[in-house]
Amino acid sequence: MVYIPATVPTTFLNMYLPAFYAALIVAFIGLTGIAIEKRDIQILILTDIVGLAMLMVVAALGTDLAEALVLPGFTVDLAETLAISEILLSREMHKMDKKASFLPLPLVSDMEIMTTAPNFIALILVGYGIWASGFTGGVIAGAGLIFYVFCRKARGLPVNFINGLSGISGVAWCLWLIGFALFFAIPELWLLSLFLAAFGLLLKVAGKMGVIGTLMREEYNRK
Amino acid sequence: MIIDSLGGHILGTVPLGDIVFYINPFHLFMFVVIILFTVLIALSRPETQVEASFGKLEDTKVGVGLSEFKQRRFLAIICGIATAGAMITGDLYNFTLFMSLVGIVNIGIVSAVKQVDVLDAAYQYGLIAMMCSLPLFGGACIVLASTGTLSLIEIAKMTYTTPMMMFGAILLFIGICGETGIAPFFATKAEMFRTPGSPFILIIHLSSLFIMIRAIEILLIIIKVI
Repeated sequence: MVYIPATVPTTFLNMYLPAFYAALIVAFIGLTGIAIEKRDIQILILTDIVGLAMLMVVAALGTDLAEALVLPGFTVDLAETLAISEILLSREMHKMDKKASFLPLPLVSDMEIMTTAPNFIALILVGYGIWASGFTGGVIAGAGLIFYVFCRKARGLPVNFINGLSGISGVAWCLWLIGFALFFAIPELWLLSLFLAAFGLLLKVAGKMGVIGTLMREEYNRK
Repeated sequence: MIIDSLGGHILGTVPLGDIVFYINPFHLFMFVVIILFTVLIALSRPETQVEASFGKLEDTKVGVGLSEFKQRRFLAIICGIATAGAMITGDLYNFTLFMSLVGIVNIGIVSAVKQVDVLDAAYQYGLIAMMCSLPLFGGACIVLASTGTLSLIEIAKMTYTTPMMMFGAILLFIGICGETGIAPFFATKAEMFRTPGSPFILIIHLSSLFIMIRAIEILLIIIKVI
């Protein structure tokens, strides 16, 4: 039979079927919406609900393995959404006889928050990201940096600086790898390897704003 | 053992932790054939079509631009490698991931064409593929929940089939149908081929044929009809 550790309470075991039924109900709602809706972009957005139901089915397992399976499932879902939206964009552009561009920059974003509070919000996000560390912290800190860039506060930055940021991202990834290898090679240094991995990943994910920096350079060329 | 009766005598295993790759003549043959096809596709040039027009002497040549050709060749090679991975993997979830990678790459191969009809078909196929990721991954997870493992060699060792395993296998089958675009959903996928650039377009078809054969083997391992 299936091996279930005795330490797992029966309450958790009984939660599998309700979670599965909940996912089926969510998927049914999403599919009903797709059947009713006629506009293409709305159908694409509603399809994402079915993808979320898929993640719920995976997460219903509730083990460490489920956590490892949610990540590729989510990535696949995201990649499919991106691919289909690219198709949709390209089709609409062909219908209008225009050239489809990968990212429609320069952005027209006219919000008050982007002129009044970019420093504050970026600082809070980066600070919280460093405190959280790891992958999550990297995402939060990176969001802060990207917000700062999109607010047009980083206009005067030289190209080398932006390339350097993406370089830091690569070097920090090596730190993460070293930390990961140390876990297996010298388990006594677990604290050091934990921090190497956590902050390497933080720098790597946060440094991904270099990608946005490359897009910024294209924006300069356009104007 | 059921694996022997399906794919021939096991030539060897690669013990990488829980996920055990096992190699038998069936997998090896499929793997080598798809790799050969991928190499052929990587070396070939795209065909050009000539659209004839009646009553006039204005035949137009429909070709593929250089950047579009490079993008398509790259995605076709990725598609071939993903299919080869799906042929040889011994892990159920990896198989579903390889399959959805093939689905995404199939959309990507036709994403840069100029025909609106083809883009429309690719859009419909993408929607179906995305909706079918629910039964695909859901089925794999139900099999994991009811057997406790994703390793195919471990599932094959079990002597029983619970109704939950059967349900998971049926969901998996629905997911495979949608993701590869076979019978009920074939109309959208057939429309995607109507564009120049033949060898790269053909891998869309080839990959789903190969994956379907492997998928049937995996389904038979789970439900143990043989």
